[in-house]
Amino acid sequence: MSKKTCRKISQGFFLLLFLFLFVQTESRGNDTLGYPVKLFLDFDPLIFITTILASQAQKIPVAFFLSLSVILATVLLGRIFCGWICPLGALHNIVGSLKKSHPRKMHADWHKTKYYILFILLAASVFTLQLAGFMDPISLLIRSFSLSIFPLLNHGIRGLFDSIYNAHIPGIVDLSEPVYGFLKKNILSFREPYYLQAVFVGSLFVVILSLNFFERRFWCKYLCPLGALLGLLSRFSLLKREVSEGCTSCGICESRCQGGALSEKGETWKNTECLACFDCDDICPQNVVNFSLGRKPHPSVNLGRRQVIISLASGILTVPLVRSTPFSRSDFSAPGVLRPPGALEEKEFLKRCVKCGECMKVCITNGLQPTFLETGFEGLWSPRLIPRIGYCEYRCTLCGQVCPTGAIQRLPLEEKMKVKIGLAMIDKGRCLPYAHATACIVCEEVCPTSPKAIWFEEFPVKGRGGKELIVKQPHIDLDRCIGCGICEAKCPVGNRPAIYVTNIGESRSKTNQLLLL
Amino acid sequence: MKRREFLKYTAIAGYGLVIGHKFGGLITPADAAERYDMVVARGAGKTPSVITKAAIDAFGGMKRFISRGDIVVIKPNIGWDRTPEQAANSNPEVVAAIVKLCFDAGAKKVKVFDRTVNDPRRCYKQSGIADAVSSLGAEVSYIDERRFKDVSIKGQVLKSWPLYTDILEADKIINVPIAKHHGLSKLTMSVKNWMGIMGGQRGRIHQKIGESLADICLVVKPSLTVLDAVRILTTNGPQGGSLADVKRLDTVVVGTDQVGVDSYGATLFGMKGSDLSYVKAGAAAGIGIMDLSRLKIKKLNV
Repeated sequence: MSKKTCRKISQGFFLLLFLFLFVQTESRGNDTLGYPVKLFLDFDPLIFITTILASQAQKIPVAFFLSLSVILATVLLGRIFCGWICPLGALHNIVGSLKKSHPRKMHADWHKTKYYILFILLAASVFTLQLAGFMDPISLLIRSFSLSIFPLLNHGIRGLFDSIYNAHIPGIVDLSEPVYGFLKKNILSFREPYYLQAVFVGSLFVVILSLNFFERRFWCKYLCPLGALLGLLSRFSLLKREVSEGCTSCGICESRCQGGALSEKGETWKNTECLACFDCDDICPQNVVNFSLGRKPHPSVNLGRRQVIISLASGILTVPLVRSTPFSRSDFSAPGVLRPPGALEEKEFLKRCVKCGECMKVCITNGLQPTFLETGFEGLWSPRLIPRIGYCEYRCTLCGQVCPTGAIQRLPLEEKMKVKIGLAMIDKGRCLPYAHATACIVCEEVCPTSPKAIWFEEFPVKGRGGKELIVKQPHIDLDRCIGCGICEAKCPVGNRPAIYVTNIGESRSKTNQLLLL
Repeated sequence: MKRREFLKYTAIAGYGLVIGHKFGGLITPADAAERYDMVVARGAGKTPSVITKAAIDAFGGMKRFISRGDIVVIKPNIGWDRTPEQAANSNPEVVAAIVKLCFDAGAKKVKVFDRTVNDPRRCYKQSGIADAVSSLGAEVSYIDERRFKDVSIKGQVLKSWPLYTDILEADKIINVPIAKHHGLSKLTMSVKNWMGIMGGQRGRIHQKIGESLADICLVVKPSLTVLDAVRILTTNGPQGGSLADVKRLDTVVVGTDQVGVDSYGATLFGMKGSDLSYVKAGAAAGIGIMDLSRLKIKKLNV
């Protein structure tokens, strides 16, 4: 079997593993998932390093140290992660294969771009600003799949089967429903997922994939900060490429090189750009290219001292730029932004959140949604609970289980049930027993705490015409309320509920408090 | 069940008993000669499934209600993400015992479902019901929103409402509620259990809860009602949470008149049927009998 075939099998395996774990990132009714769904994030050295820097090495999840193995493998063998494992890389290969010819279009110096991006991200993280998630390939991939690609798939497939079902064509439904049942059980999500910004996040992803039509593996060659990090780590790797006697300088290897690591008709090889795909070995008509392990000096990587300094400085300057908003004040927060239970205090939370979308994917009610600029640029795509879309399920702890960086802490159930993510308030102008002399107890009925955080006062009210009746008017026990938002989600005053949750009183904040004790 | 209907059943059952003798005990109930309106079985320390089986046997056995080839819907309360010990959902062993009795009686298919309040996956799993009955061969399915169909009700309050097709198409329906506290209707038992087959924004019916629930009973007619009072939730209902609010009664109430069953159920909490708006509304609408003195109740110690 050729090395290329081995590589393709490996890529296929890891892409399927990625997709399998992605589909498993969903509750089956237990409070555990049964699979290590965030495995690819655990092995991601870019978010590992930037998280350690940004969080000043506090509260680092143990599983994260698995990424040291990728670092070690890269130091020894070069960028095999990029060529053999990365699921986004595999997708790039698949999309790139749709393009017939593959000439190199960009000047070789453009390779350096990804290193400058990496330096910006690293410098910012040294000063506690975590921006890596925006461009980290694994975070990018999970986020795009969670918020856009998978919902699109769900919507399309469900729409198709629902139209067949509703068309009432005899015979057809008997065929389509078992297929639909199988898909629902094994691939589709339990409930149809909907996300704010699905179009935005999805379009960016499509653009990134489409760059392959311009030049194959454009992202990996010129943009990927993880690729850059692994490139730097592979500087002294033992992987070496040799061209023996008989090379005719035909240049095929250079034109086919996935990482753009070859120049001068394939005679010069930059190991930091090599994705270890071994295509050049397989394709060489003279069969003179050989890869082996051993010590051999590699050509130095010249990124330009001035450019490196500029990119580091840009990263540092990004910190005050991004943070010069009112959100940096401790007495200011977006009141409607409810963070998931177990989320660290806002500043600490943002230092860790890599916007991978795992928590939003796993959220059992679909209530966790990506923010846009509600908490400033730093919070872009971080999770917020929107109870009207989905409340926080009282006995569920899944979001804390799938967070790779500890931005949302993994809490035992007993502890999670006590975490306040905010407090509910009643809009007496809309609440039926207050404003409209009409009985309603839904908020109290669904309140999950014991004793309930909603209690009633029996109150005589008069309807039109003076007819008196006694209604139960709800009150909120602020000590008991945890802000889960099920009251807001189920309130019959539909479009703008008469009870709603804001983040005041959230356990994670010292300043955003209401009560004396 | 109407009195006339009851007499009819008694006559049929009596006839069956005679025939049964001829065929050497084809129909088994031991004291089937005596018919009751309701059986209350209590079995301290006995398993819920033993108590359930004893109650149904004393009520004439499952064959009295289920015929060979029937498609049966069993409607437990699976509304909440709670464990059996917390007594917010119907007891899984009670539900499983009924499923088994249905299959033993020749049911072709037994369906179990509920439109839950909390996430369905969690409710089905955490209640223990999905695991308990799917292993017996019952079809446990999550609610499929497409299967709600607008049904004309012509009730006092509800003129029509989307109801679940599987209930409407079933040959036989068995209502299996749990007896527990509720903030508005005081208690929730059999009649209120039908909220679990209502589609749409069902929360609105709380505005006229008694009449609305009685209206649903005009179109949904269970063959049998089995009230689970193995554990009852005495306060902080309908979902409870604290084990301190749970009282163990080891009791199962079986009847065909769900208003009567609820009226009896109220006594387990020290209340009367007339304290419950839906029992009063149900009795007034002729769905069943609220006055327990008019009902022949067999109390059974298992």
